[in-house]
Amino acid sequence: MSTKPAGYRYRERPRLPDLAYKLAIFAASVVLLTYVLAPFAWLVSSSFQTEAEIVSVPPHWIPHEPTLENFEAIFFYDQEEVTYESRSKADPASGGYIPSTAKSLLPAMWNSFKVAIAVVILNLLVGVPAAYAMAKIRFKGRNASVYTILTTRVIPDIALVVPFFLVIKNLGLLDSLWALILTYLAITVPFTVFILVGYFESLPDDLDKAARIDGCSRFQTLTRVFLPLAVPSLVAVILFTFLTSWNEFLLALMFTQTQAAQTLPIIVASFTSDFTISFSFINAAGVVAVIPPVIVAIMFERYIVSGLTAGAVKG
Amino acid sequence: MTRLLPARLADALARRFNYDTRSAMLFIAPVMTVLAVVAVFPIAYSLYLSFFKLKLTRPHRVPFVWFDNYIDLLGDGLFWSSVGRTVYFSVISVTAIAVLAMLIALLLNETFRGRRILSAILLIPWAIPTVANGLMWKWIYDSGYGALNGLLLQLGWIDKYLIWLGDPDKTIPLIANAFVWKEVPLATILILVTMKSIPADLYRAAKVDGANVMQRFVHITLPSLKPGFALVAIYETMMAIRHFDLFFILTEGGPGEASHVSAWHVYAETFRNLSFGTGSALAYMMAIVTFVLAYFIIRTLGRRI
Amino acid sequence: MKYGRVRKFARREFLKYSAAAATVGAISQGFGGAARAAGDPVNFYAWSAAVDQVKSHVAAFEASTGIKVAYSNNPWAQYREAAITKFVGNAPLDMLWVSDSWLPEWAEAGWIKPVDDFDFLMKYNSDAETFCTDSMTYKGQQYGLTYYTDFMGFMCDEVTLNNAGIGKKPETWDEVTEQALKIKAKGTSEYPVMLALAQESWLIEFMAAMVYSNGGSFTDGNGNALMHHKDDGAVKALQWIVDAVHKHKIVSPGSVETGELTGLKAFASGNHAFALLPKYRMRMLNDPAQSQIAGRCKQILMPRGSGPKGSHATVGWMRFHGMTSYARADKQRAENAARLIEWFGGKADGEYKFQKILFTDIGAGFGVKPLFKDPEVRATYSSYTDINVIEQQQGLARKKDVVTPWFGEWMETNGAAWQKAVLQQSSVEDALKASAEKWDELKKENS
Repeated sequence: MSTKPAGYRYRERPRLPDLAYKLAIFAASVVLLTYVLAPFAWLVSSSFQTEAEIVSVPPHWIPHEPTLENFEAIFFYDQEEVTYESRSKADPASGGYIPSTAKSLLPAMWNSFKVAIAVVILNLLVGVPAAYAMAKIRFKGRNASVYTILTTRVIPDIALVVPFFLVIKNLGLLDSLWALILTYLAITVPFTVFILVGYFESLPDDLDKAARIDGCSRFQTLTRVFLPLAVPSLVAVILFTFLTSWNEFLLALMFTQTQAAQTLPIIVASFTSDFTISFSFINAAGVVAVIPPVIVAIMFERYIVSGLTAGAVKG
Repeated sequence: MTRLLPARLADALARRFNYDTRSAMLFIAPVMTVLAVVAVFPIAYSLYLSFFKLKLTRPHRVPFVWFDNYIDLLGDGLFWSSVGRTVYFSVISVTAIAVLAMLIALLLNETFRGRRILSAILLIPWAIPTVANGLMWKWIYDSGYGALNGLLLQLGWIDKYLIWLGDPDKTIPLIANAFVWKEVPLATILILVTMKSIPADLYRAAKVDGANVMQRFVHITLPSLKPGFALVAIYETMMAIRHFDLFFILTEGGPGEASHVSAWHVYAETFRNLSFGTGSALAYMMAIVTFVLAYFIIRTLGRRI
Repeated sequence: MKYGRVRKFARREFLKYSAAAATVGAISQGFGGAARAAGDPVNFYAWSAAVDQVKSHVAAFEASTGIKVAYSNNPWAQYREAAITKFVGNAPLDMLWVSDSWLPEWAEAGWIKPVDDFDFLMKYNSDAETFCTDSMTYKGQQYGLTYYTDFMGFMCDEVTLNNAGIGKKPETWDEVTEQALKIKAKGTSEYPVMLALAQESWLIEFMAAMVYSNGGSFTDGNGNALMHHKDDGAVKALQWIVDAVHKHKIVSPGSVETGELTGLKAFASGNHAFALLPKYRMRMLNDPAQSQIAGRCKQILMPRGSGPKGSHATVGWMRFHGMTSYARADKQRAENAARLIEWFGGKADGEYKFQKILFTDIGAGFGVKPLFKDPEVRATYSSYTDINVIEQQQGLARKKDVVTPWFGEWMETNGAAWQKAVLQQSSVEDALKASAEKWDELKKENS
């Protein structure tokens, strides 16, 4: 097309597109931030408002009478034996609408965290070898394996609730975190394998052959050659399994009964009781619940966003 | 690994399967075991249930009816209308998710200051617990004092408060919006990961050949993203078809029947009508459709499967 | 040699694995098929309301009787589904809270059992409101004792009424329409009447209140559908609603998305002049920390419908403590569960303690008539409402006449039908005809 030597355009690229580029990035970032944060900002704002203020028309974007009582109820409490004297009375003087399960929020969050971490680790241990095998090894039944794994996830969860319950009950795991860990593993590992298979396939086969020639066993090929290259997809898997476990509600509802095992989503749902509901309090709980996953994301996101430049693959 | 097995068994296996196949079997064994222990029974059991007329309020009359449950469902008008609504919901959700995810991934693929914070913030919608998320949107959409009405009024885009969820025409798009908002972070990450594996040389070569931004995008980025799109399409389609939580919190199938989708129908049959037989049958029909869709997506967009 | 090592290794491994498998098998047997020993705690399952009140009362029970209680709870919105899963999965459950709408369905499924053979429970009926006892009775047998009860009330914002120059509170639904139009003309409220018609468990209560006050019923004495009859059924009630939304525009078209809680918040923000809400909400509505109309909210008797059959009747609902078939299977377990039911639903150490703290702390209604005379109760009530109106209205409360084993299934169709009528997707007659047909169809199927 161009009769000029290659690289000509390169050198003479004018400054304007540079500025336009920066502006475009900035504008896009602002739009993204608004899209993501606008509802969340409302969540945060309403968690600092009282129940009476939250129903104002038009809504108060900045609270006129900000209050910390929602957060106080979540963070400052005594876990003592509840007697007639020590019961929280939902007394109008103290606000009257902080649910008495408020003190269970942090313990439940801790449960959720334990479960999520366990599921992440198990997912990696179980899913990575399988994905490597399905992506790189030619063996009979390879396609069938992939589709079989996928098939376990096509049935809607509501239909599986009762049978799952029977399985867990017969394993004697009711009301224990292991029920959740095991079940969440089963429901996340299919997609984990799927993500990893897709990513592993994008890595060249030659690496494999090169490693084998150098005397590596299959296992060593996996751990020494492919895993370091697959870091972005591993991070994607970590985030996916962590957040799926963090958010899962239906099965946790059926398998857990007491504070020993109840996870965060259940406690948040319990704030909408038969008698009282405090939207501002639920929003406060929602704000608090966001923090651990975001921290996990911050820890890991650099591996996705910075990622490996694809040039390394050639090395 | 084979050193763990008794010698005879190890020898027999070695003779029958080559090293490759044995390694593969070993690597896949953990996954299959987990699924076999936990997931297989529920799936088989609900298939089993779908062949009975099982109404819990009549626990002594449980006749085996072969495919009657399936046939009854196919003849039910509500079944077909709910399928239509599910298709509508899924199509607009998955499209919106794919488009938004790609745009955001394009943005995050560039290097600029603040990108790391931005990508961490991106995860917030995903991190909010389902119940809090549902209630938040219910609040925002509320016709009486919701934030959406308040905002639009203050911006001057409307002159009086509108009905949102209560308007049957708006119900499904609004629920889809809440669903998309929550799913975009994951989709973005999946696309971003795929983007990272596109060799930079391709772009350099294209630039040298004189391709502009649009051409680079259409001829390099889009085709290379096909597996990423496949991943997103399959996962989000599966999630959209079976999604239940938002429908439960926001509208419980209403108003009228405006948000009565297939997933809600399964819930209504199983838990409201206590008819486990038809509920399971419906779930299985949804499963078959989902699987077929996934298969086609894999064939058209995926790589080697 | 390598082979030898492998062989020894293999044998040890084999023994280890089989021992492990046997242990796991034994343990899960132990968990799964647990013998129903009398020393086991009473498994008490509730929804997460009044958690601290329940916990404190349970602690007192354990101290007083020495019987251990394992109390667990789940969110209210998912309580029924979780309970059904537990029943179907044979989870250990002895005593649980049951809503009156679920009684026939759970009784037919064999999940809960009658308690009339426990005399020490039956004797409390003399103190209980009739509609409460009726709501716990199915096919002539009683299934528990009342946990709490309430009825649908009609509230108005006095200040809004005064501003529009209305001195006398409305007594009939027609008067409500007139006054609402006056208020609307004044401009203080666009939709003066707050109705919550979203698809949720409250919908039937709102419907029933309107139907009964208009002199109608859903079914006749034999349980056949009556709702579509012009004068005996729900036609007047639904017509009033549809006219209010579209002709007079005094009820918001968004009412089909408004649930009881959102409606409550809307009324509390001062947007409306009249509201149909459960009676116990009065406490929150007159609480300055939670409501912007605190001090202005007054409850009046349910407006009468026009015509000779109209009355101030309203609908009452209740929840009760029930006993499961799991508990019933063993004599000692049943006895323990019955003691727990008495402690909560009857008297604890000689007084109606639980009902009282439930009321003073949260404002939940009680079904035991003597508490109306209790001075503390009277004082608490008077601080935010008129106790005479409450007593009078509760006396006029009727039990829902649609509670049957097929109620849940029918309500799916019925709720959608009423909403369609309000959305003008169908006429009032057609909507009620659809409901009636579904009712009769289900009745036939279930006989």
